[in-house]
Amino acid sequence: MSNSNDIEKTGGLLDNDVQYHVQLKQGDVSDFVILPGDPGRVEFIAEHFDSATLVADNREYKTMTGKYKGRSVSVTSTGIGCPSTAIAVEELANVGVKTFVRLGTSGAMQDYTRVGDKVIATGAVRFEGTSVQYMPIEFPAVASHDMVSALIKSAQKSDLTHHIGIVQSKDSFYGQHNPEGMPIASELLQKWDAWVKGGVLCSEMEAATLFVVGSYRKLRTGAVLLVAGDQAKQESLTKEEYKANMTESINMILESSLDIEEGS
Amino acid sequence: MQTVQKVEQVKHLPLKFGEVARYVIVPGDPNRVPLIADSLDNSVHQGQNREFNAYKGTYKGIDVSVVSTGIGCPSTAIAVEELSYLGAEVFIRIGTSGSVDKTAKKGDIFIATAAVRDDGTSKQYMPIEFPALASHDVVGNLIQASKDLGIDTKVGICQSKDSFFGETEPERMPVAPYLDYKWSSWKKGGVGASEMEAATLFTLSHIKKIRAGAILAIETSDKEIVQDMTKIVLESITYMEGSKNVE
Repeated sequence: MSNSNDIEKTGGLLDNDVQYHVQLKQGDVSDFVILPGDPGRVEFIAEHFDSATLVADNREYKTMTGKYKGRSVSVTSTGIGCPSTAIAVEELANVGVKTFVRLGTSGAMQDYTRVGDKVIATGAVRFEGTSVQYMPIEFPAVASHDMVSALIKSAQKSDLTHHIGIVQSKDSFYGQHNPEGMPIASELLQKWDAWVKGGVLCSEMEAATLFVVGSYRKLRTGAVLLVAGDQAKQESLTKEEYKANMTESINMILESSLDIEEGS
Repeated sequence: MQTVQKVEQVKHLPLKFGEVARYVIVPGDPNRVPLIADSLDNSVHQGQNREFNAYKGTYKGIDVSVVSTGIGCPSTAIAVEELSYLGAEVFIRIGTSGSVDKTAKKGDIFIATAAVRDDGTSKQYMPIEFPALASHDVVGNLIQASKDLGIDTKVGICQSKDSFFGETEPERMPVAPYLDYKWSSWKKGGVGASEMEAATLFTLSHIKKIRAGAILAIETSDKEIVQDMTKIVLESITYMEGSKNVE
């Protein structure tokens, strides 16, 4: 990717300083990082590496670094929501990360997005408050073309049921699950209907900011969202199904990392 | 099941059912339509109404239409609505643009992955938080075609505006500070090109379940560069038609 020398570093921290929140310095992480929301999922993801060591654990940010088929890879949790995701992305970029692939769970928004399906995000609806503190709202939250292509290739190779398209990023979890109960119910319901008509595949809480901050800092970004629940159909994955589907999603991302040249 | 009776003649385009190809090239300028159609075999001028000039021909045996949108998202929305109603499924804009963050310079060819929605039309379709994305598949085929043809391109986000002179002479506009602030954000945020139609084309493509892309010349409308862009687009259409047959 192009250099980001012209980017002002966060908080005046130098590249080789230990970053304030993620507690990482240059050399602690791979250029390729998987970003789950849940710190409790970090260890499970790293179990799919060939080797991994814990390198930092502070607040909601837990990081493990290792190798997959000879390629260096890391996993860092972002916590729930775009505010903590922006911090993770900024600080990871400061210590040399070039490629960020979010791995998360999501709620189905279309009839054909079923629990267990994998959604490869090409872009995200910016229904959140963080990315607008970076870029005006007219700017599109878009994943990197080459990362999306690598993820599609990997999903096809493993014959996984997947969808490619736009996801919705929101700030209020319960605003999605109980819109009628919210004072701004009419806006929530009206917009939801518009996203569905626009073909938005699933709803989650971090991708939009990852993509916008990625564009600004010239980083490579992508996201894989496992459809874990379907409000309309009242369906969700069992614990065992969830684990098996997560494993498929993790392996899909790890295989895609082999298509991204190390350090690029 | 009740079938809806479709009208044969649409309101603005000089076209009827059966007259539009699955693949449509959509330049802004009606005068550029014959230049693009020159690269097709057996091209026929189907008519012109207002800024909508229509040709149809074939390329390597594949039907291709060329229809101008006029300048701006309002007339582009009309063209896209009516073309998709008549059966078009893949839309590729060929256009000219200004340079924004200077990664793409005068004379470069720029493939848009997405567009900044600095237009008024797309907001009358979708809330502003929705991203105006080109089809991943169309973008991939345009990139592949340009590589195979040995024509250099840049790939990135473009900005779609409604006011041409708001970009070229922002200082004389009453909203100059607003225009300056936005423009500096696009520059810093990594926007490569500035044009006037893509945001609505892309936004509409998600609603109409069609596929769309855009290829833009930076700060030039030379005949040669239009021909290069046409070559890339036509080649990409052969790839898309090929993969359709495989499916």
